[in-house]
Amino acid sequence: MTEMFSTLFGQNEAQGPPGSSSLGFGPGKPPPPIPQNQVSMAAQMPPQLVDEGPALRKSGAMNEPFYLLRELPVGNELTGNTNLITHYNLEHAYNKFCGKKVKEKLSNFLPELPGMIDCPGTQDGSSLRSLIDKPPVCGNSFSPLTGASLTGFRLHTGPLPEQYRLMHIQPPKKKSKHKHKHHRPQDPLPQETPSDSEHYPQKEIKHLCNESDKYKYIILTVNEDDKSKKNRHSPDHPGLAGSQPSSNSLR
Amino acid sequence: MAEKFDNLEEHLEKFIENIRQLGIIVSDFQPSSQAVLNQKLNFMISGLQDIDKCQKQLHDINVPLEVFEYIDQGRNPQLYTKECLERALARNEQVKGKIDTMTKFKSLLISELSKVFPEEMAKYKDIRGEDGPS
Repeated sequence: MTEMFSTLFGQNEAQGPPGSSSLGFGPGKPPPPIPQNQVSMAAQMPPQLVDEGPALRKSGAMNEPFYLLRELPVGNELTGNTNLITHYNLEHAYNKFCGKKVKEKLSNFLPELPGMIDCPGTQDGSSLRSLIDKPPVCGNSFSPLTGASLTGFRLHTGPLPEQYRLMHIQPPKKKSKHKHKHHRPQDPLPQETPSDSEHYPQKEIKHLCNESDKYKYIILTVNEDDKSKKNRHSPDHPGLAGSQPSSNSLR
Repeated sequence: MAEKFDNLEEHLEKFIENIRQLGIIVSDFQPSSQAVLNQKLNFMISGLQDIDKCQKQLHDINVPLEVFEYIDQGRNPQLYTKECLERALARNEQVKGKIDTMTKFKSLLISELSKVFPEEMAKYKDIRGEDGPS
């Protein structure tokens, strides 16, 4: 067995292609470079080989008696053996994101962003994917609107129709199960005008002034069950002109 | 690097707040609000100008497209970072396991071959000894 092993490793590259009928090898031929598949074919056919003796061994690879011995590949310092998190100083990031529970919703990441941002973007056509698929026209300059252009923005007096009214409303955040949705004792509630209570009995306008952010947040909550509002939302309806509280106008 | 993000973030917050106030004005419009509406519209345009100026500072920032998938689904984009780190660690451990297994296999193979082919393995070790066996 040792003889066969040595014989196998002692063969040179003088073998022909595997499809060739002459699998034998001449002693005087220079060894052409043999591809890997031919080497494996040679390894599978030990019974057919003839022991050519030490002549072939001498003309073999440089690392005698090993025929297939190649140089070791250049070692890479950074392998999977290294903890890459530590190597790239990502331990803090790992503990921050994987150590504690990350909340699922987008509104937890952007709590101050108004609107219903937890809904999929495909529902209202506000997806980022659509922005990539159909990029908007860029390169034009932004110029302020002149007086003539602003005439197009003269609006009808009165509230918006029902289908457009809920665009900027956020769902009430559930802080505690025991607290009622419409009642927040820590927030100052402005007095409702008699006209408000007549047309919108459950409408509340709450002003939350956060001085540190220099912004005023107004949360408008409307009871959707009040069907009497349907007839009052058309632009032509006299509506509640002048009857709304002055807190609606912003500085 | 964080400064250019802070600058953009500030402009975006102001822009969004302006739009939100615009929506409130429009939701229940009064004739006296026309001047304020016009002012808000011009603020919106100047806000877009400011945001457009920020892009020069951020031209080298690349955002993975997979994050957009998370945002479009209404999910927290930090979950993407978390899953990236977890996948990287899992893959790291998997590769380390393969390396350890191959190392053990190599040492076991050399020891067994040395028992069966002692002379050849001695020559092999001499050759590899020059190259520095791993």
